[in-house]
This record gives sequence, C-alpha cells and structure tokens, in this order.
Amino acid sequence: MNTLAAARDRRPAERRFDRWLLDRVQRLRGAVDLPLVLEYRHIYVMPTRFGAWFAVLLGLMAIGGLNFNNNMTLLLVFLLGSIALLTTLLAYRNLVGITVNAILAKPVFAGERATFDVLLKNPEERHRFAIQAVASEALDCGDIEPQNTLRLRIEQDAPRRGWLEMEPFRIENRFPLGLFRAWSVVIPKARCLVYPKPAAHAPPLPKSGRGDQGAPHKGDGEHFHGLREYQQGDPLRRIAWRTSARHQKLYSREMETPRDESCELNWYLMGTGNVEEKLSILAAWVLRAENRHIPYSLEMPGAALPADRGEQHRDACLQLLALFND
Amino acid sequence: MIDPGRITMFWVIATLSLAMLPQLLRMPLPVAAFALFPLTWRVAAEWRGWKPLPKLLRHSLTGLALVVLFISYGNLSGRRAAVSLLTLMLALKLVEGYRIRDARLVVSFSLFLCATQFLFGQGIVMPVYGMVTVIVALVALTRLQRNEAWAHQDGRAPAVRASFFSELSFGLRLLAVAAPVGLAFFLLFPRLGSPLWGIPDTTLDSKSGLSDSMSPGSIQQLFMDDSPAFRVTFEDAAPAVSELYWRGPVFWRFDGRTWKGSFYGTNVQAIEQPAVAGAPWSYTVQLEPNERKWLFALDYPATTPADARLTLDYQLIRRDPVIQLLQYSVVSNPAFVDTPRLPVTLRAQALDVPEGSNPRTRLLIDRWRRETPGDRELVRRALEYFNQNPFNYSLNVPMLGQHSVDEFLFETRTGFCEHYASAFAVMMRMAGIPTRIVTGYMGGWYNPLGDYYLVRQSDAHAWTEVWLPDAGWARVDPTAAVSPSRVQQGSLGALSAPRHLLDYRWLRRARNSIDIVQQRWNDWVIEYGARQQARLFAPLGLDRATPAMLVSLLFAAIVLFGAILVPIVMRIRGPGRTDPIQIAWRRFLRRLETAGFAPRASRGAMEMATEASEILPHAATSIRHIAELYTRCRYAPGVQPLAELQAAVKEFRPSRNPA
Repeated sequence: MNTLAAARDRRPAERRFDRWLLDRVQRLRGAVDLPLVLEYRHIYVMPTRFGAWFAVLLGLMAIGGLNFNNNMTLLLVFLLGSIALLTTLLAYRNLVGITVNAILAKPVFAGERATFDVLLKNPEERHRFAIQAVASEALDCGDIEPQNTLRLRIEQDAPRRGWLEMEPFRIENRFPLGLFRAWSVVIPKARCLVYPKPAAHAPPLPKSGRGDQGAPHKGDGEHFHGLREYQQGDPLRRIAWRTSARHQKLYSREMETPRDESCELNWYLMGTGNVEEKLSILAAWVLRAENRHIPYSLEMPGAALPADRGEQHRDACLQLLALFND
Repeated sequence: MIDPGRITMFWVIATLSLAMLPQLLRMPLPVAAFALFPLTWRVAAEWRGWKPLPKLLRHSLTGLALVVLFISYGNLSGRRAAVSLLTLMLALKLVEGYRIRDARLVVSFSLFLCATQFLFGQGIVMPVYGMVTVIVALVALTRLQRNEAWAHQDGRAPAVRASFFSELSFGLRLLAVAAPVGLAFFLLFPRLGSPLWGIPDTTLDSKSGLSDSMSPGSIQQLFMDDSPAFRVTFEDAAPAVSELYWRGPVFWRFDGRTWKGSFYGTNVQAIEQPAVAGAPWSYTVQLEPNERKWLFALDYPATTPADARLTLDYQLIRRDPVIQLLQYSVVSNPAFVDTPRLPVTLRAQALDVPEGSNPRTRLLIDRWRRETPGDRELVRRALEYFNQNPFNYSLNVPMLGQHSVDEFLFETRTGFCEHYASAFAVMMRMAGIPTRIVTGYMGGWYNPLGDYYLVRQSDAHAWTEVWLPDAGWARVDPTAAVSPSRVQQGSLGALSAPRHLLDYRWLRRARNSIDIVQQRWNDWVIEYGARQQARLFAPLGLDRATPAMLVSLLFAAIVLFGAILVPIVMRIRGPGRTDPIQIAWRRFLRRLETAGFAPRASRGAMEMATEASEILPHAATSIRHIAELYTRCRYAPGVQPLAELQAAVKEFRPSRNPA
C-alpha cells in the first residue's frame, strides 16, 4: 500500500518544482555515498498548500484587524504568524542530523516491485516525528526514537531484468502543524538486482545427455544409499536412531542423488530465438529444478556453473541470467 | 478517503466549540440551536461509529440553516448575521467533512471565528480565552499532520506515547516561544492612520446605551445593565460627583409619549464654542463601543474631539458610530451662557406640547402661572411640588396611558428619572418656559487605584434644561428634587430594593474595584495605536514613528529575538515523552563513560555489565545490579522496578579505575 497519496495529491506545479529541484541537486551533489548525514545545506523548507492557505487567512484577518484597529485581532494574527514561522525551524530541526545509513534491496523478478529498505539513524537524544521517505510513486513513514534506527520501505517498479537503479527520493516531514514541509533530496547509489521474469509456460526440464555415466552424487539426496558411522557435522535428521540404539553407537544414513536425474541448462542448446524469451525459460527451469531438488548446471556464453542445488546456486544462476549481455 | 481518526476529530470539534461559544451566546436561540446540532451529531457519530448522513439530508440541513438564519435576522448584511452564517457553515461542515482537508478547514476557520469575537468585545477575559482556543487548535493541527503523514496507511498514525497533557503542553510551548515575536510584531507593526473602508451603518446590529429617542421605560432598561459605558480620567481637578452630568442626546420634540431630537439641534453647528481659557475641567474619556455616535462630555465642551462636531444644543456627535473602544479628550467650561438669545423657531419648538393632552396638568399650570409670574419662581414651585408631594423614585413603574403626564402627576406618582424629566418638561412648556430634555449619564464611581471615574450603563439619566432670558439654557434636574440621593449616591444608591438576586452593595463595590484591570487593559492593549507607538520611542529621542522606521525596528527586533529564540526553539520537546526507563539507562551509560568505560551500542545490557565490571571491578556489584533492574524493567512481566532503577542510577557514581 505504498503507492498512494504522495503522487495523488501533488499538483503539476509541485511536480515541476520537484523536478527542477532534483535537477539542481543532481548538478550540485550528484549521487551520494552512504552513510549520508542530513545537514543544514541539504534541507529545504517550503510552505505546504495548507500553509499557503493559512497565510492567506492570516492576511485577511490582519487586514481586518488593521482596518478596524482591532488590537486583539492583530495580537491573535501576529501570534499565529509567529507560531507558523516557528514551525519552519521545528520542521527543519526534525530532519537535521538524521543519517541515511544504508539502503538494502533483495533481488526480485522482472515485473515485480523492488523494495528498497532505507535505514535511517537518529543519533540524537530526541524523538523524530513522522519522518517520511517519498519517491515519485511510493512513500513510507515512521517516528524515530532517540538513538534508534528506522527502516522505511520504498517500492519501485522493476520492469526489466538487470540492475535497477533506485530513483532519487526525498526524506521529508511536515512536523508539527503541517504548514511547512522540510525535505532533503537523496540521490542514492543503490541498486536492486532484477532477475528475468520466469516464463509462465516453459517447456519441460531438459534431461542431461550424459546423465547415466559416472557415480551417483553422494551426500544430500532423496535416495537411501547405506549406513555409515556418525561423523561430526551430520544433520540430526540423518541419524539412524534405531540402528544406533541397537549398536550403542551413532550411525548416519548415507543418501545419494542419482546422476541421471541432474539436468543441464545450456544456452547453446536452446536453439535460436528471442534472447529475452530464452532467458525467461532458463529462469523458469532454474526455479523448477530447484523446487524439485534436482541439481542443475548452467552454461551461458562466457560463463558456466557446475551442477549443484540450493539457494546460493539458484541465486548465482539467476544473477548470471539477469546480467546476461549479448 | 483519509479519515483523521476519532481522537483527532474530537480535538477539531473542541476547537470549533471553543471558537463558537462566545458567538453562540450572542445568537438568537434557534440559530444557536441549529449550530449546536451538527456538532453534537458528529461527536455522537464518532463515538458510536455512525455512518455519514445521506447527501439529500445534508443539503436540506444547509438549506434549512439559511432559512433559519434569514428568519432570525431579517437580512444577512449585519455583522452578527455574518458571524452566525460563518458559525453555521462551519458547524455543518462537520456533518459532511471526513477528510483531513475538511478538518483543517474547520480548524483554520475556527481561528478566524475566534478573531471575529473581538469585534464584539475586547474584554480582559477574551485574550485568555483566545489563547486556550489557539492551544487546542495547535493540538488539532499537530494530530492532523500525523494523520496526514500516515495517509498511506489510512491515517493510522502510531501514538507517540502522548498523553492528553503532553499534547496540550506542546501547544503551550509553541505559544510561549512564539509570544515574544508576536509581541514585537504587535508593538512595531505600523498601524493605519485611517481605515481603508468604513463600516456601513446597516451592519451595526448591537446598539447599546442611550438611544436617539426617549419614551417611558427606555432608560429604565439601561438601569438593569451594569456594563461599563465609559471611563474618565481627569487631568487635574475633578468636579463633585453630583456635578458629573455627562451630556448625551438632547430632545426637543414631544408627541405625548416619545421625545425626539430636532433637526436644528442635531444638524446645525454650535454658534459659539465656550472658551478654553479658564476652563477648569480637562479629561480623557474612554468610551466603550456602543455603535452610536454620541460622545459624552460635561457641560460645556470647549474642545471638539477629532471626527466629531458640536451641535447647536451642545451634543458631541461623531461622524462614524463608535464600534471600537474610543478614547477622546475634552476640556469643559461650565461658566458659559448657552444661547442668551433664543431664535423664534427654536423657541417655538421648545414650547410645543401636543394639543389637548394632559388636561389636568394644563389646569394646574394655568393656576400656577396666574399666581407666579416669574419664570424662576415657577421652576422652583414645580420642583417644590415634586419634593413635597409623595412622589416615589422607583423601578416598578405602572404602565402609563394616553395622558401620561396627568396619570403620573396625580395618580401613580412613581417613576424614574425619565418620568420626572418628561413631566417637568411638559409642565414648563405649558407655562410658556422653553424646555428641552437632555439624556446622558449622571455621576460615576471613582476608582482611587487608577484615579479614574467608571460610568456604567446603569448610570443613565435624564434631566431638563429651561431657557431663562438672562441666563440662557439652565440645567434643572427634577429627579434631584424627588430623590436627592440619586444625585449624591448614584443611581443604585437611591433604590431601596435590590434590582436582582445578586445585587449587593459589596458585590458592586468589588466589581467597581476590579474594573481597574479592564481599564489598564484598555489603556495599554486595546487603545494601542500609532500614537502609543510614537510614545514608545520617545525615550529613544524619536518623536515621530514613521512606518519605515517601525518596520526596520521590527526587523531588528526579530533578528535580536532570533538570536535568542532559535537556540531555544531548537530545544523544544515534541509531544510525547521519552521512556523513563531509557532515560535512567542512558544516564547510567553516561556515568560509565565518565568513569572510563566506553559502552558499545550493540551490546545487550547484561553483556555490557560484564564488560564494564572487568574494567571497573570496584563498582561491579552496582553495575550488575543496575543492569539486572534494567532488564527486569524492560523484559520481565509484572511490576516494573522503575523507581528502584532510577534510585540506583542516581546513586551510581563510580570513580575512575586507578589501574
């Protein structure tokens, strides 16, 4: 539900202003390295629409008060005006000193939304109220306790595979009365890996041509191979408790994965066709093999990964596919 | 649709209620009731989770409100009607407004409404009340800001551990820090010498005080009104209280029931103004707004205040109605012969009585006239008549019929200053002595603390002036003949019975004494203007304060305040409070640091205690004790040993490790 209000209630003029400011910041500062401390020269303060309306209302009251020489009205107007001015400082102060510690993003598949976790740290002994991270189409908000961190999530569309650069975002707040907005533009050097979108209707997994040769791969697997003495590091679930009880000694079950069930994913065997479609199919195969606990190898132009299984292997394969460049 | 949330909505409604209340008291009952209805409905709806009203019903409510308003006021051009309209519309906004925008609209317009109440009165209580309204509005706006920030989660903002009072005190802090700057603006902001636009007479709908005609009962109404009419400060000498006849409207024409002013009297300039030289009484009047044009002065004004003129019958009439507290200075010279030669037209007007009215009075006067040829003697005889017959000075006056003077003189014999003045004027006119009626105020309560006279509406009085060939118009107060105490002790002292339940002498006295606060407030705040601004800078050697000078001073003041205030502002705490456990724990960490142990933030409490004990072995017991207490406060279920923790931290003063 991050995709809301920010974009919706902003006017074209405001958007234009934001773009202009962004260009300016990009020219002056460019992308920044983290951690970034929000300093006074990074923070802008402008009235919000409500603030502008409030100013008009105060102006009307002041003209009335001056015209009728009604001192009580003037006193009220001047007091409210001073409070409004005061809130510019408070909004600024609510932001200054906050540190953008890190921006983290987990890889996603193309077509999904990438989530950037922005870690904000409040190094001071005071609360920070309603700090928002606002991108063009997402926002998140939170308070930061004294000497504490806050994680704000900014989502962004990930339409294509490859590296997704995080778009510039603002850290802003309207504390305390909503009359002024203080903000700082952050142009982050953060990116999110986008895997190819897995093909929805991929052909069946290709079987390895050389699969029946060689010894089966021992270790993890689905098929029982035999018993051996317990060795340190064997998982508990592998221990053959009944046998162990009988022999007063720990035995582990040895498992094996038959060689002929591994599969080989090879770019060169995919025939000719659309590069992206091929990558999609490969991604789908990687996921399918991983799901079925079948070891798989991947061979791509210029790189090859030997047959293996597990999350790390899967991610390595998917990264290879994501960053494939022909 | 982003709902501001129930509690926030209550704050918004509270803001509106506070802003509305003073206006409600001034509204006609149906309008007030209509304004209260949407308010009550919304409170109930928020409380019970009712659905919004259907659109048709809402629109018809708005229509009905306009109809009620129109019926109650007749037209919508008056100030009161305009304020009522604003109040009603804001209240109705509560029935249909469910967004943050709507809530903000209501709050900001409530502040506007709060300002409009100062159009009707700027008493000393109002600013305090205004401050309360502002603080509540600040709380509402702060909450709305939070709801807006969490708009992407339907406005469900997490609480900041903010109690009711911490939110209020945050508002108070904002107000307190802003106050000096606001005050600087108030003192230094250039004022308009003359208004950009005037108030059309039609918008005046709360006239009070003496009116432009006098009929039986009109002054009696004022008699019940204890609000201040004006305050007077004499420059040096002041006349005796029994000489304080504050001249107001003068009446010439009588139709048997009502006295009215004359065209000549109100429109023609005074032929001759008394000399200022030798005038003994010089004073400043602070007139409460009454939406009328008369300025009150002692006989006879030798100077004319700005924007006013002196008429033929020595009324001071202002160009515009008095809608603000007005301060003016007058010099009065009692030693002045008013109109030694009376023109024929005026004479005819001052002798006119309706044909055939009051036959019994006519008979009596005819007899007197035959027996007493001299005018002065006749006046004295009439006064003696009032004095020696059983006439009563009382509030309980029976209704008088067609021949009102006859009935009053021979039957009821009970009346009020206006009855005596009216009867006496008719008698004199029947006797061929030109007579007119003067209304105004008589007396005043001297406040020794502030050295000023307070004149209340209840001091309203009516007396007469007869024209005598050698002396011009001379004041004759028939009421004094009946009840000398009215003139000596003031209008209330002359009454034997209290006017109402709470009408005690000591209470009146107390109230008169307290009036000094209001007088000072009027003097220093309400009356503050271009002249006072100039006076403020007299000590600096500036005799005139031009707008440019004021603005530059204002900037200087803001810069000066800024230098002092910004560091204070940067220390203002937000709403909500920090966790006391955390405060104690951080204090403990700071003490460890001074003792030479640098705690690392990533460590848990017990882990850190172990490390600290190694470096500071002599304080190991207390370190472990505090860490345990902290852990229990944080994680153990049941009662938190917070007080113990705080005490332990307070006593924890480790010395540096000698090693």
